[in-house]
Amino acid sequence: MSFLASTAAQVVELAAEAEVDPADAKATAGASSAGFAYGLAAIGPGIGIGYLVGQAVQAMARQPESAGQVQTTMFLGIAFTEALALIGFVVFILLKFA
Amino acid sequence: MGSSVLLFAAEAEEAANPILPTLNEMFYGAIAFGLLFVLVKFVLLPPVQATREARASQIRGDLDAAERARSQAGSAATEVDDQLAGVKAEAAAVVDAARAEAEAERATIIGAAEAEAASIRSAAEAEIETARAEAMSGATASVAELAADAASRVMNRPIDLASAQPVVDRYLSNPN
Amino acid sequence: MFTLFAAEAGEGGGGLVFPSIGNLVEWAPYFGEGTIFEFNKIGLISMLAMLIPTVMFLLAKKDMVPAGLQNIVESTVEFVEDQVVMSAIGAEGKKYLPLLLTIFMFVFWGNIFEVIPTFQMPANARMANPVILALVAWATFIGVGIKAQGFGGFMKSSLFPPGVPKALYILVTPIEFLSTFLLRPFGLAVRLFANMLAGHILLVTFGVLCIALWQASPLVIVLPFSFATLVGLTGFEVMVSLIQAFVFSLLTAVYISLSLHPHH
Repeated sequence: MSFLASTAAQVVELAAEAEVDPADAKATAGASSAGFAYGLAAIGPGIGIGYLVGQAVQAMARQPESAGQVQTTMFLGIAFTEALALIGFVVFILLKFA
Repeated sequence: MGSSVLLFAAEAEEAANPILPTLNEMFYGAIAFGLLFVLVKFVLLPPVQATREARASQIRGDLDAAERARSQAGSAATEVDDQLAGVKAEAAAVVDAARAEAEAERATIIGAAEAEAASIRSAAEAEIETARAEAMSGATASVAELAADAASRVMNRPIDLASAQPVVDRYLSNPN
Repeated sequence: MFTLFAAEAGEGGGGLVFPSIGNLVEWAPYFGEGTIFEFNKIGLISMLAMLIPTVMFLLAKKDMVPAGLQNIVESTVEFVEDQVVMSAIGAEGKKYLPLLLTIFMFVFWGNIFEVIPTFQMPANARMANPVILALVAWATFIGVGIKAQGFGGFMKSSLFPPGVPKALYILVTPIEFLSTFLLRPFGLAVRLFANMLAGHILLVTFGVLCIALWQASPLVIVLPFSFATLVGLTGFEVMVSLIQAFVFSLLTAVYISLSLHPHH
């Protein structure tokens, strides 16, 4: 996170040195941190959902008769895991546009 | 690019935060959702559920009727089986009776035939016996005559046949 | 569109300029501007999301052998009953079927306008409807919990989970409070909102890309691929609309179930 903050600070500093409009510099800093935020937020849930669905497919292949139960639970698990990525997406929107 | 970023920045400043809900949209959303909930709960869902329930109960009833029909068919089949078994037993009894009758008939016929054969045989035996007795008496007479004749030739004097007859008879009846 | 062309004209060299997010999700009012009664596209879609299921249910026949519209209506009810109520709560959850069915249909119809031409905006890509729905779910599971276990019992079971050493409650109780009473509704609302907003932005991105590529330049050979992706993503978003409606109602059902049987 300090990396992000320093990046943003650097951008603003550079902008100040180059006599760029501060609003422009702020937008640039926001956009770059937004990219970082979403990129980082997508890693964990990506791995998590992949692992989760893989295990669910394995369970369904082993016991096809309990596929319905596994599927419902899988969707629940995906919903909980995905929430993290979605919060990252919201942060992205906030940084980029708000 | 710089000018467009400025343009966006200006727009973003006057635009509301895209994340936050706006009151007017919440107002209409709440009205729509509340109305839909009331409608679903009291107007829309009950007839659908009633239809589904009626269908389920009809299917259940149909299944029961089918089950009943099947059990009825089963009982009819057992009835038919019973009848068949009775008929078979009857037929077997008739066959047995006929067989017994035939057996009895055969026995009487064989008995009669045997009796006839026995009477025929005994008649024949009696006939043979008489013939043998006749032949024997005939032979005794001729033997006595021959013996008397042979004795008279040996002794050179006539032998009375009547006096020799008992001797011959004794000899023949006790040939040892 | 206006921004796109204006920017192109301003730059003079064409090129892809993405419209601002305000252009994507904010809509001009039809009437009542500036008041709480301001009625825009989102309000219209909310009303349609209420009216369409109503009309469908009213028009559906009540035959013994379902066909056509009746089939759709009854399969919707059956889906929610089997996949949401029965799988998350069980037979005792039948009395929550109207609520969960309403949530399912309202979310689905709010979502599916994302791919309906001339609308092409999911109502749930604005935070308003998800917040309303999440508040309803929040109030419902708290009310059910208080009704089923009593106020003290519900607080005890949700704030003091059994099987934790007593000293750890200093740590566990605030976390449980946060996760149960704040993160649950927040997660519900944000999950729906962010999914639909992301899908909407995705479709807009490829739509804008297709428009930008529609010109005499060598890059026009990329256009078919971009368009094919747009079509594929549209189908994907139909699926996402359905899944989000399912997940929202399923999670509400799970929270109700957790309030009914705390120790599962």
